[in-house]
Amino acid sequence: MSTEPSAERGPWSLALRRFLRNRLAVAFLGLFGLIVVFVLAAPLWANHVADTGPNEEHTVEQITVDGEQKDVVSVEGKPIGPQWFGAGGKFFLGADSRLGRDEMVRLMYGGRTSLLIGISAALFATLLAIVLGLLSGYFGGWVDSLIARTLDVIWSLPVFLIGLAVGIALAVGGLKIGSLELSSGSLWNPILIISIFTVPYIARPIRGEVLSLSEKEFVEAAIAQGASPGRVMFTEILPNLASTVIVFFTLMIANSMLFEAGLSFLGAGVQPPNSSWGTMITVGVDLLRIQPLLAILPGLMIMLTVLSLNIVGDALRDALDPRGKARMDAALQFEAQAGAGGGAAI
Amino acid sequence: MKKLGALIAVLVLAAVAAVGLASCGGGGGETSGGGGGGGQKGGTLNGTYASFPDYLDPALSYTAEGWTAMADVYVPLLTYKHANGAEGSEVIPGLAKELPKISNGGKTYTLFLRPGLKYSDGTPVKASDFPFAVERMIQLNSGGSPFYLSIEGAEKFAETKQGPISGIKANDKTGEIVINLKAPRGTFTNELGLMFVAPLPKDTPIEDLSANPPPATGPYMITKSQPGKGWEYERNPYWAKANGKAMPDLPEGVVDHAKMTVIRNPETQVDDVEKGTYQWMQNPPPASRYAEVKEKFEGSQFRVEPTISTYYFWMNVNRPPFDDVKVRQAVNYAVDAKALERIYAGQIKSTQQILPPGMPGYEQFELYPHDMGKAEELMKEANPSDMDITVWTDTESPNNEAGEYFNEVLKELGFKTTLKQINADNYFTVIGNQSTPELDAGWADWFQDYPHPNDFFQPLLAGESILQTNNGNFAELDDPAINEKIAKLGEEQLGPEQEAAYAELDEETMKQAPWAPYGTRTLSTFVSDEIDLESVIFNPTFGHYLSSFEFK
Repeated sequence: MSTEPSAERGPWSLALRRFLRNRLAVAFLGLFGLIVVFVLAAPLWANHVADTGPNEEHTVEQITVDGEQKDVVSVEGKPIGPQWFGAGGKFFLGADSRLGRDEMVRLMYGGRTSLLIGISAALFATLLAIVLGLLSGYFGGWVDSLIARTLDVIWSLPVFLIGLAVGIALAVGGLKIGSLELSSGSLWNPILIISIFTVPYIARPIRGEVLSLSEKEFVEAAIAQGASPGRVMFTEILPNLASTVIVFFTLMIANSMLFEAGLSFLGAGVQPPNSSWGTMITVGVDLLRIQPLLAILPGLMIMLTVLSLNIVGDALRDALDPRGKARMDAALQFEAQAGAGGGAAI
Repeated sequence: MKKLGALIAVLVLAAVAAVGLASCGGGGGETSGGGGGGGQKGGTLNGTYASFPDYLDPALSYTAEGWTAMADVYVPLLTYKHANGAEGSEVIPGLAKELPKISNGGKTYTLFLRPGLKYSDGTPVKASDFPFAVERMIQLNSGGSPFYLSIEGAEKFAETKQGPISGIKANDKTGEIVINLKAPRGTFTNELGLMFVAPLPKDTPIEDLSANPPPATGPYMITKSQPGKGWEYERNPYWAKANGKAMPDLPEGVVDHAKMTVIRNPETQVDDVEKGTYQWMQNPPPASRYAEVKEKFEGSQFRVEPTISTYYFWMNVNRPPFDDVKVRQAVNYAVDAKALERIYAGQIKSTQQILPPGMPGYEQFELYPHDMGKAEELMKEANPSDMDITVWTDTESPNNEAGEYFNEVLKELGFKTTLKQINADNYFTVIGNQSTPELDAGWADWFQDYPHPNDFFQPLLAGESILQTNNGNFAELDDPAINEKIAKLGEEQLGPEQEAAYAELDEETMKQAPWAPYGTRTLSTFVSDEIDLESVIFNPTFGHYLSSFEFK
């Protein structure tokens, strides 16, 4: 007699099964994995194939392509185009600018920077959002009002413009608050900006869910047994937020990468000579007519990464909670009602 | 009778031909520069600028765009010859009859206004309009004010804003203008040729008039101005009636009307000039299109124009490690001007000295030919203890890339660098403010205000030019011997002896290596195929003269 599989499998196993059934999501997860491998292989390619670092300039150098000497940058300032394997892998995608840096190497290192910022900013934003969402949703009252209104204020701001202004200020002067000191070129500057300004996008849905979960029987039971608020929040409610957090975290990586690309494109994110896909688009735009690949390639990498993360994020939501969308809508509606009530109370 | 008839016929034909030729001939026939002529008189020139000039007010504008826009509108007492290249650096009389008579040991300048001059609104030009223009400029806190503070009483006027300036006497009856300086100033003749002090009617408001420019004295007047978008010119009606006859050395212009439009994307500008939508772009094609445009149109629609400018990297001689001359010399050896030529897409010509080619006193030398071995050797000898430096540059391409290049050069020499790229709009304000931290080294450029070598030393390398804000001496060089020479030469009128002394000063200063100069910028003339390229004049001080454009 065969046993009913669903009866033996836990919720995570079921979710994995549901996720694997979504072929498109699996394909894009594979693509995201390939992108990660691609950027992690940057030092290998740089040291063993291209024989150059991401910021090394070769403006007046020549390379041998199929036995022929070629300028990396012509006298008229035109960077060499893709050489594929013609020069043994050197300048595989050509030179990035009139500075004659290897585009392939910078694309790989730039991807590391973009992903690092995307993941770090999403991680910080998510952690902060969890804490704020739990406090706000669980305690209610003035704590909720204070947090919710602060999030409302951030949400109502033209986030990108303010991020741009703060980014430019930090890019010039760095940041010094007490013992915390960030230099002007530090990657922590865009990470901080992005995480702070994107917190409301996760914190508000989490708050809604916490408001909803706080009224469940298992929470009331824990309180009745004398569990402290911290214990209730972190051992009873938080595990039930896992699916929401995982989904939002995945989507926030994509959003943070786009935010970083925008900031860097406008000079307020990653600072030169370091590369990110955003800064590479800026450099490429200047040479769009003569070497269009220089702008297209980093743009394509951003698009593929963001697309894969969004598709995987959506699939995770469907897999972790098949009724997630309906629940998420309900949570948002509940949160909105509670928010309106709080406002009236004030 | 037959012979007489034939003679009459020949004379009639000759007269018709002469009238015909005159009507077809270019209006710039009397110009001293340009090789054009023979084009069509009249028409509308549609030009494009990449940005709106800082001001369309002669007292305030201090950019190439502004000076080009107003060069044929506001004529100062003296002006520059309407000619290309070095010939265009010659100071000639403008509204004044002759060049000034200099007396009292170089402290008194006497000029006479040409009689019969009128503004474009019909108001007669008076000698007393000159002191008014100087006072208005100072009242408006113009960037040009420092040039004229050596006039007796001008500093007091700048403080109190209460006139008149005691050092200027003007007689409206005789047209005499006498200017007394506190001390001799060898550059003052050049400074009288700048439009900061171009005479204006005394009822001109003391405010920025960019949106409604004041009446003109030149062949054209600005009839419409929309700041940020564009402006238009018409012929000055009093040029033909009065001013043109009084100033025969200045051309009357060929086109009747001109319209300038701001197009912020230089790629679009190039496309539009190629298509003929616009007949001229004031700025050069972007680096990404430069080679293509040059290859396709050089000689027919495109011409490279030399400028009197120096592009350089400065090193702060008061801060370690650049307080050691060996470190600064090492940097000079390490900078490869050839690499920078490529970074600037061929729009820069390499030079390693303070004075650029074309400037009186320029004598070529090469103290630091690119040699990394020598640079490393000097670094070893210097063995600086502080290796952490901040490198400054602006965000405008290709200056940003030049800054990145400099950053990498310093890294190659073993420094630990932090690169700071500042928005081009406020870059010089930031690096010119001494309260900005970590002003170690960076990029800068300098275009001449006027063709006098002092303009490259006094504001940029004299100790007295080190200011808390608006500092131009980024290297903070304050060498007593160099200061003394700059001051002494600054008082003398420029002649062969002084030019030789400036050449010596150039080399002597570069031995101190406060800068690593790497080139002089070239600009360009790019016109549509309807315009006669030969006729277009690019003056080293004012740029393109509107009066020189003519249709084929």
